[in-house]
Amino acid sequence: MRRITLACTALALAMTVAPALAKDYLLTGAKPDKLVLIDAKARKVEQVFTVPDAGTGIFTITPAPDGRTAYVILNQWESVAGIDLTTGQQVFRADLSSAGERVKATFAMDISPDGKELFVIESPVKLLPDQYQVQPARIAVFDTSAGIGAKPVRVLPAPRRTAVLMAAKDGSKLYALSWDIYVLDPKTGAELGRHPLRTWQRANFSAPDVLDVWPQWDATGIFSTPYYTARTDLDASNPDAFKTGLATLDLASGEFQTVDFESTSAIIFSSAINPARPTEAYGVYTTLSKIDRAKGSLLQRIELDHTYYTVNVASDGSELYVGGTMDDVGIYDTATFERLGEIAIPGGADQVLASLRLIQR
Amino acid sequence: MKHLKPLNAKARLLEEAAAAGRPDEVQLMATVAGCASTLDPGWEVDPFGGVAGLCQPMEADLYGCTDPCWWPAQVADTLNSYPDWNAEAPSAQRDWRVLQSVFPKK
Repeated sequence: MRRITLACTALALAMTVAPALAKDYLLTGAKPDKLVLIDAKARKVEQVFTVPDAGTGIFTITPAPDGRTAYVILNQWESVAGIDLTTGQQVFRADLSSAGERVKATFAMDISPDGKELFVIESPVKLLPDQYQVQPARIAVFDTSAGIGAKPVRVLPAPRRTAVLMAAKDGSKLYALSWDIYVLDPKTGAELGRHPLRTWQRANFSAPDVLDVWPQWDATGIFSTPYYTARTDLDASNPDAFKTGLATLDLASGEFQTVDFESTSAIIFSSAINPARPTEAYGVYTTLSKIDRAKGSLLQRIELDHTYYTVNVASDGSELYVGGTMDDVGIYDTATFERLGEIAIPGGADQVLASLRLIQR
Repeated sequence: MKHLKPLNAKARLLEEAAAAGRPDEVQLMATVAGCASTLDPGWEVDPFGGVAGLCQPMEADLYGCTDPCWWPAQVADTLNSYPDWNAEAPSAQRDWRVLQSVFPKK
């Protein structure tokens, strides 16, 4: 009996310890056709995959939940490719346009928590002999095992201007960031609810301006985006007339929050939240900002050596990574904002608008 | 609007929508993407009326504007019209000499 107890204890210990052995890897893209896998803590590029028929390059990157495959929007927004992150083989390909219809996937893409379905925003245009006819936006749902030449298994109606798609952690909902954050049924596309942004009703505040195409919730499961709003009761010359805030959506609980944290004094392109200190968020552009989203305050801001579009946070919350735009991923201590190092993209190619994703394996 | 004269069909549609009391159709869009007539400040001036808030250096943002067709009037549109414009220049900061002016196809 004691032996069984010991064995069970050892097994339980192994199960407890095993996840800690998983390492953080970053995924980014580089022009014109590279998908780059980075060992974050080792500060080195682990693998560089060449993606066929990539056009100008890779935009959104969506890793499968098991971290074995990454799906990317590429080819001038007209294709989605799935790349095996061990072999580099293209294991999935959906070319969205067809004769007479040009289809652009404008950034938004996510995968179901079980890894079986891929949701891709589509903005179609009929190319008629005498006119281009804009069609309603839609979400194409693909079976991730469909391989090369994949066709949608179903097509859902979608809000126009959807720039980010987010699958709820339990798979029961699909969130679409458009003017507002729409809560959709992933089976039918039916609108289940809406978190207001553009249609919020705040006395003495203008509708917020949101520009977000960034899936950066890997370590927390919490989507976040900066927003900008104006106080309509103050003169535009008053420095407090313009406010920057952070909107967050917990993909597990569905909780949606907005908080103003400063009178606008810097541009922030994208943001991510610290998994170890969830009240702390980081915003990036030409500066790096640390935000207390519980108190609604700016904690720290430093200048960066160049503009970065993307930011993501290590799974232990100790450091953050900034990427996009040019040819390096910068590494910063989340507590001190000390620059810890950088990882050069092979060949010096620009990352441009590629997502910066964090996977563990 | 009385001091503005529409010059093309789209501008006339905007004027008609405003005159007919349909302001939703002429409001600026948040999160626009893809050859949009965005009026966000960008290449010329930042939201504060200066240039310090623009991307640094401008090459950091150049392909971020060409590849999603963000400012098609200011930079080449590689999304639709000039897909090969930066094909030989994967680094804007290093390879900018390769980049050429573009002209509408006849």
